[in-house]
Amino acid sequence: MLCALCHANGTPGNETETVSVAAEMLGRYMPVHIDAMGNLIGDTGVEGSKILLDAHIDRIGFAVTAIDEKGFLKVARVGGIDPIVLSCAEVTVHGKQEVYGVVTSTPPHLADKGEKKARKIDEIAIDIGMSKADAEKIISVGDRITMNGDLKMMLGKRVCGAALDDRSGVASILRCLEILGDKLSSLPVRVMFSACEETGAAGAVAGGFNAEADEAIAVDVSFAKAPGTDSSITAELGKGTLIGYAPSLNFEMSRKLEEIAKRDSIKYQVEVMGSRTGTNADDIAMSRGGKKTALLSIPQRNMHTAVEIIDLDDIESTAQLMAAYILSREGKSDA
Amino acid sequence: MLELIKELSLIGGPSGREENVRKFIISKLPANAEYSVDAMGNLLVFVKGKKSAKNKVMLAAHMDEVGMIVTYITDDGLLKFSNVGGIETAALFGKRVKVGESELSGVIGVVPIHLRRGDDELKMPEKDTLCIDVGADKKEEIDGIVSLGDKVVFESDCVEFGSLLKGKALDDRAGCAVMLDMIIGGVEYDTWFAFTVQEEVGCRGAVAAAYNINPDYAVVIETTTAADISGVSGEKQVCKLGEGAVIPFMDGASVYNLDLYKLAGRLAEEKGFKMQTKTVIAGGNDARAISNSMGGVKTLTVSFATRYLHSASCVISKDDIAQMSLAVKYISEEFANA
Repeated sequence: MLCALCHANGTPGNETETVSVAAEMLGRYMPVHIDAMGNLIGDTGVEGSKILLDAHIDRIGFAVTAIDEKGFLKVARVGGIDPIVLSCAEVTVHGKQEVYGVVTSTPPHLADKGEKKARKIDEIAIDIGMSKADAEKIISVGDRITMNGDLKMMLGKRVCGAALDDRSGVASILRCLEILGDKLSSLPVRVMFSACEETGAAGAVAGGFNAEADEAIAVDVSFAKAPGTDSSITAELGKGTLIGYAPSLNFEMSRKLEEIAKRDSIKYQVEVMGSRTGTNADDIAMSRGGKKTALLSIPQRNMHTAVEIIDLDDIESTAQLMAAYILSREGKSDA
Repeated sequence: MLELIKELSLIGGPSGREENVRKFIISKLPANAEYSVDAMGNLLVFVKGKKSAKNKVMLAAHMDEVGMIVTYITDDGLLKFSNVGGIETAALFGKRVKVGESELSGVIGVVPIHLRRGDDELKMPEKDTLCIDVGADKKEEIDGIVSLGDKVVFESDCVEFGSLLKGKALDDRAGCAVMLDMIIGGVEYDTWFAFTVQEEVGCRGAVAAAYNINPDYAVVIETTTAADISGVSGEKQVCKLGEGAVIPFMDGASVYNLDLYKLAGRLAEEKGFKMQTKTVIAGGNDARAISNSMGGVKTLTVSFATRYLHSASCVISKDDIAQMSLAVKYISEEFANA
């Protein structure tokens, strides 16, 4: 499921392909529709105090800004791709058909010796092995480009690839619905796989407006300890879902999530942020008169590269905790 | 030959660990090819031609690729490494690698862009901060799976796109493929083929290979940087994909005999193969080691124009493959009788 989600295209403003993959999966649990922003929405339609579950379905990428006279593509970022990983990276251009490309590197005889800076995005180009004339038949300005990084298992339950931000969040919500099983059809649950998070949460703003929910849980990825991260990053891969505490979140929800995790022995860690979270949670919390909002994060290394790493156990603990929380709202437990 | 290039490209064989490449090549040698392996690991092959040659001609291509070597395993199960051969640090960030004989999957990670606070997002971390992450948490998890000194190579499939081919190690498996294809197809004159080791760490194997074979003439079959990419124009492009075999008159390591260089030009015209030269003096290869060996060897280099050399994504033109074969064939035949 995660592989299919991550393989699909779906950059901000152009999420169609991944939305159709996810719609097929979400559609097994509840009626779905796509709203004006391109958000994929599912709703059980059950009356009562509703909870909204959100994960963003867009992934970072580029857009073509020009095809130069040699047939190379010039690009702009759509979302915050890390410029230092681009030299010689492999990409897919989503034109009339998918086209393979390699990001150029600075030839050694033209490089400043001891150059310590990566090239700016407007200095790189994508080599697609075509002449300008041939390229123009298939590719247009505005077409999206994604970094190649199909998922690969590492040791243990670690998995590595592109778009785990935030397709792993999408997967955790789908898994939560699977855990709820038959109970789901009588629960007031709304799901949003939101568009355009990477370019400023536009999807969450619109989708939040449309959602008459009292509570919300957003799922995104956050930083795991890795070489070079400073001591403020304490989350570890495989040690459980990250329960967020922040001024922009609902403190009681955060506490309750922690209590339930302890009660049900679900692996969790805590992430504390000083103002906003930088995720859809911030916008959802303010939407339509406000919603009580919590944030669960999946710890991740190498964010915004084609080699993001997460631990499958952390998707599972995120799903388990959401399911347990939803059941606790009804006064039911999972027992 | 495209298939041979792809198969060779996928084998993991950085300098000093060329054994799997050598085994593969040996497995493809026809019955009439006599071979030996010298003390450094060079594979020396002799093929009798239809005619015997006036001069002893040696063709050479190196089996090793640029890669990495595991220097230390941290308590957290991360691998510190050293480059083997010249890889630009920029080409390392966020790349997938394979570690050891078992080809364990790993990545060279980066501190996320969001956390590189205060620093300009373009500033590249120092190379010695890089580690290979195989997904372990503790050193103990990888005991017996990864060891100090293990070889590491980029993980990179071969991809054909447009008229081009991308793969790792095209430097110099593409050269090895040209030689192997020639051995399999048969040669006009008796010819020696040296599949050398350790080129990327100082053209070392070629020195011993040249001594062991002791040729009169040599043709080094290589890859060389093409900068015919976006934003580069004129002579700074060095050479171009699809414009044929690159035969330099001079590079960063060798000054080729001008008469030999001009001979190559005449042969290109007469025999109808595409030839170009390098318009920037840069780079170096086994030619220096060979031409300066013993009493001197008359040497030319014939190369694939290649983009993004020494990275996981070397790119050559499929159209150049045939031109390279022709160029090497005719030059070596000319040398046999010169």
